[in-house]
Amino acid sequence: MAYSEKVIEHYDNPRNVGSLNKGDDDVGTGIVGAPACGDVMKLQIKVEDGVIKDAKFKTYGCGSAIASSSLVTEWVKGMSIEEAGSIKNSQIAEELALPPVKIHCSVLAEDAIKAAIKDYQEKNGQADGQAQ
Amino acid sequence: MDHFERLGQPRQHALDRDALETEYLARAAKAHPDKVDQDDASAKRAAMETSAAINEAYRTLRDPAKRAEYLVKLGGRDLDSSDPDVGAPKMPQAFLMEMIEHRERVVDARSAGADALDDLREDVDGQQGDALAEAVLAIAKGDTEAASRHLVVRRYLQRLLDEIDDEG
Repeated sequence: MAYSEKVIEHYDNPRNVGSLNKGDDDVGTGIVGAPACGDVMKLQIKVEDGVIKDAKFKTYGCGSAIASSSLVTEWVKGMSIEEAGSIKNSQIAEELALPPVKIHCSVLAEDAIKAAIKDYQEKNGQADGQAQ
Repeated sequence: MDHFERLGQPRQHALDRDALETEYLARAAKAHPDKVDQDDASAKRAAMETSAAINEAYRTLRDPAKRAEYLVKLGGRDLDSSDPDVGAPKMPQAFLMEMIEHRERVVDARSAGADALDDLREDVDGQQGDALAEAVLAIAKGDTEAASRHLVVRRYLQRLLDEIDDEG
């Protein structure tokens, strides 16, 4: 399959690979998996005053999954958690020009950022998803 | 017609491999497109379709993991779909975390050398076999839900094995 230039670029030069301290209160961790193919993705955010200051990911999967998570970590830095929570997989797929068979990789990245936000909110007593 | 009917087998995980192969060869020979009137285009096409279906059935049934996944699919869970209701069930966070840690172990083992990688491979291969065995037990009990969870575990572990073998 032909990958788009943007996918290859993120794959060759992924942004924000790594880990944040899962135990810190200001860190939210989202771990998601694609059962059909066995890809796993961990995406973490560090939040200060409702704004995402840092984001890291570790993705074990195909080029599209790595590119999708790399792109999302790049996008969310500097966003409020509300903005980050409204990112849609279709935006990721469009930016990376993902073919239909790889759309699930962008869904995985959307699920991962949402899971990270949820984890952060639960840690900080906002289990209902409301902002402070 | 499902794959089991196609090859005259009982719809269950335990199959007699020799009987399966014998049936496959006999049916594939009988359905061969060369056996029909070569001037009859529709008969030729029908024979090709039947042949393809027989081959597909054999490919699925001769592999124990594919056979188990197929039985689960007949039971209403298609593991190739990500729909949590009718597709592969979602795995708990703890399991996914474990898979991430496994992947990190692959990276560590690779830099530690061939022995470390072999040990890890053996370990993961064992777990993969256990997951399949659990799935087969669940299938025998008619528990599609439990079987689908074990088979998804197996898929994640299989993916890990592919990765170990990939650059190793």
